[in-house]
Amino acid sequence: MTAFIGILLVAVVAGVFGSMLGVGGGIIMVPVLSLAFGVPVKAAIATSIVCVIATSSVAQSSFAARGMTNMRLGMFLEVATTVGALAGGITAVLIDGRVLQACFAVLLFYVSWQMGRRRHDVVPVEGPVMPSAYFDPAEGREIRYGVHGLATGFTLSLVAGNVSGLLGVGGGAFKVPVMNLLMGVPLKATIATSNLMIGVTAATSAVIFYGRGYVDPRWAVPAALGILVGARLGPRLAIHLPARVLVVVFEVVLIVFGVLMLLRALQVGI
Amino acid sequence: MKQSPPHEMDAVERMVNRVLGAGVAVSVAFMLAGVVLVVARGGGLPPHAPSFRELVPGLGTADPAAYLSTGLLVLIATPFARVAGSVIVFALERDRRYVALTAVVLLVMCAGVLLGRAG
Repeated sequence: MTAFIGILLVAVVAGVFGSMLGVGGGIIMVPVLSLAFGVPVKAAIATSIVCVIATSSVAQSSFAARGMTNMRLGMFLEVATTVGALAGGITAVLIDGRVLQACFAVLLFYVSWQMGRRRHDVVPVEGPVMPSAYFDPAEGREIRYGVHGLATGFTLSLVAGNVSGLLGVGGGAFKVPVMNLLMGVPLKATIATSNLMIGVTAATSAVIFYGRGYVDPRWAVPAALGILVGARLGPRLAIHLPARVLVVVFEVVLIVFGVLMLLRALQVGI
Repeated sequence: MKQSPPHEMDAVERMVNRVLGAGVAVSVAFMLAGVVLVVARGGGLPPHAPSFRELVPGLGTADPAAYLSTGLLVLIATPFARVAGSVIVFALERDRRYVALTAVVLLVMCAGVLLGRAG
Protein backbone atom coordinates (compact mmCIF):
# COMPACT_ATOMS: atom_id res chain seq x y z
CA MET A 1 0.00 0.00 0.00
CA THR A 2 2.94 2.34 0.68
CA ALA A 3 4.27 1.67 -2.81
CA PHE A 4 0.78 2.26 -4.24
CA ILE A 5 0.53 5.73 -2.70
CA GLY A 6 4.17 6.50 -3.44
CA ILE A 7 3.84 5.64 -7.13
CA LEU A 8 0.56 7.53 -7.33
CA LEU A 9 2.15 10.71 -5.95
CA VAL A 10 5.17 10.41 -8.24
CA ALA A 11 2.78 9.96 -11.16
CA VAL A 12 0.95 13.18 -10.26
CA VAL A 13 4.26 15.03 -10.64
CA ALA A 14 5.08 13.09 -13.82
CA GLY A 15 1.65 13.98 -15.20
CA VAL A 16 2.21 17.68 -14.55
CA PHE A 17 5.64 17.78 -16.19
CA GLY A 18 4.77 15.34 -18.95
CA SER A 19 1.72 17.26 -20.08
CA MET A 20 3.34 20.65 -19.56
CA LEU A 21 6.21 19.70 -21.87
CA GLY A 22 4.41 17.37 -24.30
CA VAL A 23 6.68 14.46 -23.42
CA GLY A 24 4.15 12.25 -21.63
CA GLY A 25 5.73 11.74 -18.22
CA GLY A 26 7.60 8.56 -19.19
CA ILE A 27 10.80 10.52 -18.77
CA ILE A 28 10.11 10.76 -15.04
CA MET A 29 8.40 7.42 -14.46
CA VAL A 30 11.07 5.09 -15.86
CA PRO A 31 13.95 6.26 -13.64
CA VAL A 32 11.85 6.79 -10.51
CA LEU A 33 10.18 3.39 -10.74
CA SER A 34 13.47 1.61 -11.25
CA LEU A 35 15.52 3.70 -8.81
CA ALA A 36 13.10 4.31 -5.93
CA PHE A 37 10.70 1.37 -6.20
CA GLY A 38 13.02 -1.33 -7.56
CA VAL A 39 10.75 -2.11 -10.49
CA PRO A 40 12.51 -4.20 -13.17
CA VAL A 41 13.35 -1.91 -16.05
CA LYS A 42 11.10 -3.53 -18.64
CA ALA A 43 8.11 -3.39 -16.29
CA ALA A 44 9.06 0.23 -15.53
CA ILE A 45 9.05 1.01 -19.25
CA ALA A 46 5.68 -0.72 -19.68
CA THR A 47 4.26 1.32 -16.78
CA SER A 48 5.64 4.55 -18.19
CA ILE A 49 4.10 3.78 -21.58
CA VAL A 50 0.72 3.45 -19.86
CA CYS A 51 1.46 6.82 -18.21
CA VAL A 52 2.21 8.36 -21.59
CA ILE A 53 -1.16 7.21 -22.93
CA ALA A 54 -2.97 8.57 -19.87
CA THR A 55 -1.15 11.91 -20.07
CA SER A 56 -1.91 12.25 -23.76
CA SER A 57 -5.61 11.46 -23.42
CA VAL A 58 -6.22 13.64 -20.37
CA ALA A 59 -4.16 16.69 -21.40
CA GLN A 60 -5.46 16.80 -24.96
CA SER A 61 -8.83 18.31 -24.07
CA SER A 62 -7.17 21.38 -22.49
CA PHE A 63 -4.88 21.95 -25.48
CA ALA A 64 -7.57 21.37 -28.12
CA ALA A 65 -9.96 23.73 -26.34
CA ARG A 66 -7.31 26.43 -26.89
CA GLY A 67 -6.72 25.44 -30.52
CA MET A 68 -3.05 24.78 -29.75
CA THR A 69 -2.97 21.25 -31.20
CA ASN A 70 -2.15 21.16 -34.91
CA MET A 71 -4.31 18.10 -35.68
CA ARG A 72 -3.29 17.71 -39.32
CA LEU A 73 0.42 18.00 -38.56
CA GLY A 74 0.08 15.51 -35.72
CA MET A 75 -1.84 12.98 -37.75
CA PHE A 76 0.63 13.30 -40.64
CA LEU A 77 3.66 12.69 -38.43
CA GLU A 78 1.88 9.82 -36.67
CA VAL A 79 2.40 7.75 -39.82
CA ALA A 80 6.17 7.98 -39.19
CA THR A 81 6.08 7.57 -35.43
CA THR A 82 3.83 4.48 -35.44
CA VAL A 83 6.07 2.69 -37.95
CA GLY A 84 9.10 3.58 -35.83
CA ALA A 85 7.38 2.55 -32.61
CA LEU A 86 6.40 -0.82 -34.01
CA ALA A 87 10.06 -1.57 -34.70
CA GLY A 88 11.09 -0.25 -31.27
CA GLY A 89 8.51 -2.23 -29.33
CA ILE A 90 9.81 -5.42 -30.85
CA THR A 91 13.44 -4.45 -30.19
CA ALA A 92 12.92 -3.62 -26.51
CA VAL A 93 12.01 -7.16 -25.48
CA LEU A 94 15.26 -8.37 -27.06
CA ILE A 95 17.74 -5.85 -25.57
CA ASP A 96 19.35 -5.87 -22.10
CA GLY A 97 17.85 -3.40 -19.58
CA ARG A 98 21.17 -1.71 -18.71
CA VAL A 99 21.96 -1.02 -22.34
CA LEU A 100 18.52 0.57 -22.65
CA GLN A 101 19.17 2.79 -19.64
CA ALA A 102 22.52 3.94 -20.99
CA CYS A 103 20.92 4.77 -24.35
CA PHE A 104 18.20 6.66 -22.49
CA ALA A 105 20.73 8.77 -20.57
CA VAL A 106 22.72 9.67 -23.67
CA LEU A 107 19.57 10.67 -25.55
CA LEU A 108 18.43 12.86 -22.65
CA PHE A 109 21.74 14.77 -22.65
CA TYR A 110 21.59 15.21 -26.39
CA VAL A 111 18.08 16.66 -26.38
CA SER A 112 18.88 18.95 -23.45
CA TRP A 113 21.92 20.26 -25.32
CA GLN A 114 19.76 20.87 -28.39
CA MET A 115 17.21 22.86 -26.39
CA GLY A 116 19.92 24.80 -24.54
CA ARG A 117 21.57 26.00 -27.73
CA ARG A 118 18.59 28.21 -28.36
CA ARG A 119 16.95 29.68 -25.31
CA HIS A 120 14.11 31.45 -27.09
CA ASP A 121 11.15 30.04 -28.93
CA VAL A 122 11.20 30.04 -32.74
CA VAL A 123 9.85 33.10 -34.51
CA PRO A 124 6.61 31.94 -36.16
CA VAL A 125 6.60 32.23 -39.96
CA GLU A 126 3.29 32.03 -41.80
CA GLY A 127 3.16 29.62 -44.72
CA PRO A 128 0.81 27.56 -46.90
CA VAL A 129 1.55 24.18 -45.28
CA MET A 130 -0.86 23.20 -42.46
CA PRO A 131 -1.37 26.82 -41.38
CA SER A 132 -2.58 27.21 -37.83
CA ALA A 133 -3.24 29.86 -35.21
CA TYR A 134 -3.78 29.97 -31.47
CA PHE A 135 -4.06 32.62 -28.78
CA ASP A 136 -1.07 32.76 -26.42
CA PRO A 137 -2.24 34.15 -23.05
CA ALA A 138 1.35 34.75 -21.89
CA GLU A 139 2.01 37.05 -24.85
CA GLY A 140 -1.56 38.35 -25.03
CA ARG A 141 -1.75 37.86 -28.79
CA GLU A 142 -2.64 35.40 -31.50
CA ILE A 143 0.26 33.37 -32.93
CA ARG A 144 -0.04 32.41 -36.62
CA TYR A 145 2.36 30.00 -38.28
CA GLY A 146 2.83 27.56 -41.14
CA VAL A 147 4.71 24.26 -40.98
CA HIS A 148 8.11 24.02 -42.69
CA GLY A 149 10.48 21.13 -43.48
CA LEU A 150 7.84 18.39 -43.71
CA ALA A 151 10.22 15.81 -45.26
CA THR A 152 12.90 16.32 -42.59
CA GLY A 153 10.29 16.24 -39.85
CA PHE A 154 8.76 13.04 -41.21
CA THR A 155 12.13 11.27 -41.39
CA LEU A 156 13.17 12.27 -37.87
CA SER A 157 9.75 11.30 -36.54
CA LEU A 158 10.52 7.75 -37.66
CA VAL A 159 13.54 7.85 -35.34
CA ALA A 160 11.49 9.46 -32.54
CA GLY A 161 8.92 6.66 -32.81
CA ASN A 162 11.61 4.03 -32.56
CA VAL A 163 13.13 5.65 -29.47
CA SER A 164 9.67 5.71 -27.91
CA GLY A 165 9.17 2.00 -28.42
CA LEU A 166 12.67 1.23 -27.16
CA LEU A 167 12.79 3.37 -24.05
CA GLY A 168 9.26 4.19 -23.01
CA VAL A 169 9.77 7.94 -23.20
CA GLY A 170 6.93 8.42 -25.62
CA GLY A 171 9.34 9.97 -28.10
CA GLY A 172 7.98 13.36 -27.06
CA ALA A 173 11.41 14.43 -25.87
CA PHE A 174 12.50 14.12 -29.50
CA LYS A 175 9.31 15.14 -31.27
CA VAL A 176 9.28 18.47 -29.46
CA PRO A 177 12.76 19.54 -30.65
CA VAL A 178 12.09 18.20 -34.17
CA MET A 179 8.85 20.17 -34.62
CA ASN A 180 10.07 23.25 -32.77
CA LEU A 181 13.66 23.59 -33.99
CA LEU A 182 13.40 22.04 -37.46
CA MET A 183 9.79 22.59 -38.57
CA GLY A 184 9.25 26.10 -37.21
CA VAL A 185 6.27 25.21 -35.03
CA PRO A 186 6.02 27.52 -31.96
CA LEU A 187 6.80 25.72 -28.69
CA LYS A 188 3.28 25.69 -27.25
CA ALA A 189 1.76 24.29 -30.45
CA THR A 190 4.63 21.79 -30.52
CA ILE A 191 3.90 20.68 -26.97
CA ALA A 192 0.17 20.29 -27.67
CA THR A 193 0.74 18.42 -30.95
CA SER A 194 3.42 16.17 -29.47
CA ASN A 195 1.04 15.45 -26.60
CA LEU A 196 -1.58 14.22 -29.07
CA MET A 197 0.90 12.07 -31.02
CA ILE A 198 2.58 10.32 -28.09
CA GLY A 199 -0.66 8.55 -27.15
CA VAL A 200 -0.81 6.74 -30.47
CA THR A 201 2.86 5.80 -30.45
CA ALA A 202 2.68 4.56 -26.89
CA ALA A 203 -0.54 2.57 -27.44
CA THR A 204 1.11 0.52 -30.17
CA SER A 205 4.02 -0.40 -27.89
CA ALA A 206 1.77 -0.87 -24.88
CA VAL A 207 -0.15 -3.71 -26.50
CA ILE A 208 3.11 -5.52 -27.20
CA PHE A 209 4.27 -5.01 -23.61
CA TYR A 210 0.89 -6.21 -22.30
CA GLY A 211 1.09 -9.34 -24.43
CA ARG A 212 4.50 -10.10 -22.90
CA GLY A 213 3.16 -9.67 -19.36
CA TYR A 214 5.09 -6.49 -18.50
CA VAL A 215 2.03 -4.29 -17.79
CA ASP A 216 1.86 -5.12 -14.09
CA PRO A 217 -1.21 -3.64 -12.30
CA ARG A 218 0.77 -3.22 -9.05
CA TRP A 219 2.65 -0.35 -10.69
CA ALA A 220 0.61 0.60 -13.75
CA VAL A 221 -2.67 1.24 -11.89
CA PRO A 222 -1.39 3.71 -9.27
CA ALA A 223 0.74 5.34 -11.96
CA ALA A 224 -2.23 5.79 -14.31
CA LEU A 225 -4.45 7.16 -11.53
CA GLY A 226 -1.79 9.69 -10.50
CA ILE A 227 -1.32 10.82 -14.10
CA LEU A 228 -5.04 11.56 -14.37
CA VAL A 229 -4.64 14.22 -11.69
CA GLY A 230 -1.31 15.67 -12.86
CA ALA A 231 -2.21 15.85 -16.54
CA ARG A 232 -5.06 18.24 -15.79
CA LEU A 233 -2.71 20.75 -14.20
CA GLY A 234 0.20 20.55 -16.67
CA PRO A 235 -1.57 22.01 -19.72
CA ARG A 236 -2.67 25.04 -17.69
CA LEU A 237 0.96 25.73 -16.87
CA ALA A 238 2.02 25.17 -20.49
CA ILE A 239 -0.66 27.51 -21.78
CA HIS A 240 0.04 30.37 -19.37
CA LEU A 241 3.81 30.24 -18.81
CA PRO A 242 6.13 32.18 -21.16
CA ALA A 243 7.67 29.84 -23.77
CA ARG A 244 11.24 30.52 -22.65
CA VAL A 245 10.43 29.34 -19.13
CA LEU A 246 9.18 26.07 -20.64
CA VAL A 247 12.47 25.71 -22.53
CA VAL A 248 14.47 26.01 -19.32
CA VAL A 249 12.23 23.58 -17.40
CA PHE A 250 12.54 21.13 -20.28
CA GLU A 251 16.35 21.31 -20.14
CA VAL A 252 16.63 20.91 -16.38
CA VAL A 253 14.29 17.93 -16.22
CA LEU A 254 16.19 16.17 -19.01
CA ILE A 255 19.61 16.70 -17.41
CA VAL A 256 18.58 15.57 -13.91
CA PHE A 257 17.04 12.34 -15.15
CA GLY A 258 19.82 11.72 -17.65
CA VAL A 259 22.32 11.74 -14.77
CA LEU A 260 20.16 9.43 -12.62
CA MET A 261 19.66 6.98 -15.44
CA LEU A 262 23.34 6.93 -16.36
CA LEU A 263 24.31 6.15 -12.74
CA ARG A 264 21.81 3.31 -12.71
CA ALA A 265 23.08 1.90 -16.00
CA LEU A 266 26.63 1.94 -14.59
CA GLN A 267 25.27 0.22 -11.44
CA VAL A 268 26.55 2.86 -9.03
CA GLY A 269 24.65 2.02 -5.84
CA ILE A 270 21.70 4.37 -5.37
CA MET B 1 -2.84 37.38 -17.67
CA LYS B 2 -5.29 38.22 -20.40
CA GLN B 3 -8.23 35.96 -20.99
CA SER B 4 -8.11 34.32 -24.42
CA PRO B 5 -11.04 34.41 -26.84
CA PRO B 6 -12.84 31.03 -27.07
CA HIS B 7 -11.52 28.67 -29.74
CA GLU B 8 -14.11 27.25 -32.15
CA MET B 9 -13.32 23.52 -32.42
CA ASP B 10 -13.72 21.80 -35.81
CA ALA B 11 -15.25 18.33 -36.32
CA VAL B 12 -11.91 16.52 -35.89
CA GLU B 13 -11.09 18.34 -32.66
CA ARG B 14 -14.54 17.63 -31.23
CA MET B 15 -14.32 13.93 -32.09
CA VAL B 16 -10.82 13.61 -30.61
CA ASN B 17 -11.91 15.24 -27.37
CA ARG B 18 -15.04 13.13 -27.02
CA VAL B 19 -13.29 9.81 -27.70
CA LEU B 20 -10.35 10.53 -25.39
CA GLY B 21 -12.62 11.80 -22.63
CA ALA B 22 -14.90 8.76 -22.81
CA GLY B 23 -11.94 6.34 -22.88
CA VAL B 24 -10.39 7.88 -19.79
CA ALA B 25 -13.72 7.84 -17.91
CA VAL B 26 -14.40 4.14 -18.62
CA SER B 27 -10.81 3.22 -17.80
CA VAL B 28 -10.90 5.01 -14.46
CA ALA B 29 -14.22 3.33 -13.58
CA PHE B 30 -12.72 -0.15 -14.08
CA MET B 31 -9.51 0.68 -12.21
CA LEU B 32 -11.35 2.16 -9.24
CA ALA B 33 -13.67 -0.88 -9.15
CA GLY B 34 -10.54 -3.05 -9.12
CA VAL B 35 -9.01 -1.06 -6.27
CA VAL B 36 -12.24 -1.35 -4.27
CA LEU B 37 -12.26 -5.14 -4.83
CA VAL B 38 -8.62 -5.36 -3.71
CA VAL B 39 -9.41 -3.46 -0.52
CA ALA B 40 -12.58 -5.51 0.09
CA ARG B 41 -10.71 -8.82 -0.28
CA GLY B 42 -7.61 -7.70 1.56
CA GLY B 43 -4.07 -8.76 0.59
CA GLY B 44 -2.55 -6.24 -1.86
CA LEU B 45 -2.55 -5.77 -5.60
CA PRO B 46 -2.22 -8.86 -7.79
CA PRO B 47 1.35 -9.27 -9.07
CA HIS B 48 0.45 -10.47 -12.56
CA ALA B 49 -1.72 -9.19 -15.36
CA PRO B 50 -4.28 -11.70 -16.62
CA SER B 51 -3.87 -12.78 -20.24
CA PHE B 52 -6.38 -11.51 -22.80
CA ARG B 53 -8.48 -14.70 -22.59
CA GLU B 54 -8.59 -14.68 -18.78
CA LEU B 55 -10.07 -11.17 -18.65
CA VAL B 56 -13.76 -11.75 -19.34
CA PRO B 57 -14.15 -14.76 -17.01
CA GLY B 58 -12.28 -12.74 -14.37
CA LEU B 59 -14.76 -9.87 -14.64
CA GLY B 60 -17.60 -12.35 -14.03
CA THR B 61 -16.03 -13.70 -10.83
CA ALA B 62 -15.19 -10.17 -9.54
CA ASP B 63 -11.46 -10.90 -9.77
CA PRO B 64 -9.67 -7.62 -8.87
CA ALA B 65 -6.84 -8.32 -11.35
CA ALA B 66 -9.34 -8.59 -14.20
CA TYR B 67 -10.90 -5.20 -13.35
CA LEU B 68 -7.54 -3.46 -12.94
CA SER B 69 -6.20 -4.88 -16.19
CA THR B 70 -9.40 -4.15 -18.10
CA GLY B 71 -9.06 -0.54 -16.96
CA LEU B 72 -5.48 -0.46 -18.21
CA LEU B 73 -6.49 -2.07 -21.52
CA VAL B 74 -9.31 0.43 -22.07
CA LEU B 75 -6.76 3.19 -21.50
CA ILE B 76 -4.39 1.53 -24.00
CA ALA B 77 -7.25 1.11 -26.50
CA THR B 78 -8.35 4.75 -26.33
CA PRO B 79 -5.78 6.09 -28.84
CA PHE B 80 -6.81 3.28 -31.23
CA ALA B 81 -10.39 4.50 -30.99
CA ARG B 82 -9.26 8.07 -31.57
CA VAL B 83 -7.43 7.12 -34.78
CA ALA B 84 -10.38 5.04 -35.98
CA GLY B 85 -12.60 8.03 -35.26
CA SER B 86 -10.29 10.27 -37.33
CA VAL B 87 -10.65 7.95 -40.33
CA ILE B 88 -14.42 8.26 -40.04
CA VAL B 89 -14.48 12.04 -39.59
CA PHE B 90 -12.12 12.62 -42.53
CA ALA B 91 -14.21 10.25 -44.67
CA LEU B 92 -17.34 12.26 -43.82
CA GLU B 93 -15.45 15.42 -44.80
CA ARG B 94 -14.28 13.72 -48.04
CA ASP B 95 -10.66 14.50 -47.21
CA ARG B 96 -9.14 11.54 -49.05
CA ARG B 97 -5.53 12.30 -48.20
CA TYR B 98 -6.23 12.25 -44.48
CA VAL B 99 -8.46 9.20 -44.73
CA ALA B 100 -5.45 7.43 -46.24
CA LEU B 101 -2.94 8.78 -43.68
CA THR B 102 -5.03 7.95 -40.63
CA ALA B 103 -5.97 4.53 -42.06
CA VAL B 104 -2.26 3.72 -42.44
CA VAL B 105 -1.69 4.73 -38.81
CA LEU B 106 -4.53 2.45 -37.69
CA LEU B 107 -3.17 -0.46 -39.75
CA VAL B 108 0.33 -0.08 -38.32
CA MET B 109 -1.10 0.04 -34.80
CA CYS B 110 -3.05 -3.15 -35.47
CA ALA B 111 0.11 -4.78 -36.82
CA GLY B 112 1.66 -3.96 -33.45
CA VAL B 113 -1.14 -5.83 -31.70
CA LEU B 114 -0.70 -8.90 -33.89
CA LEU B 115 3.08 -8.98 -33.51
CA GLY B 116 2.79 -8.58 -29.73
CA ARG B 117 0.57 -11.62 -29.54
CA ALA B 118 2.66 -13.63 -31.96
CA GLY B 119 5.59 -13.76 -29.47
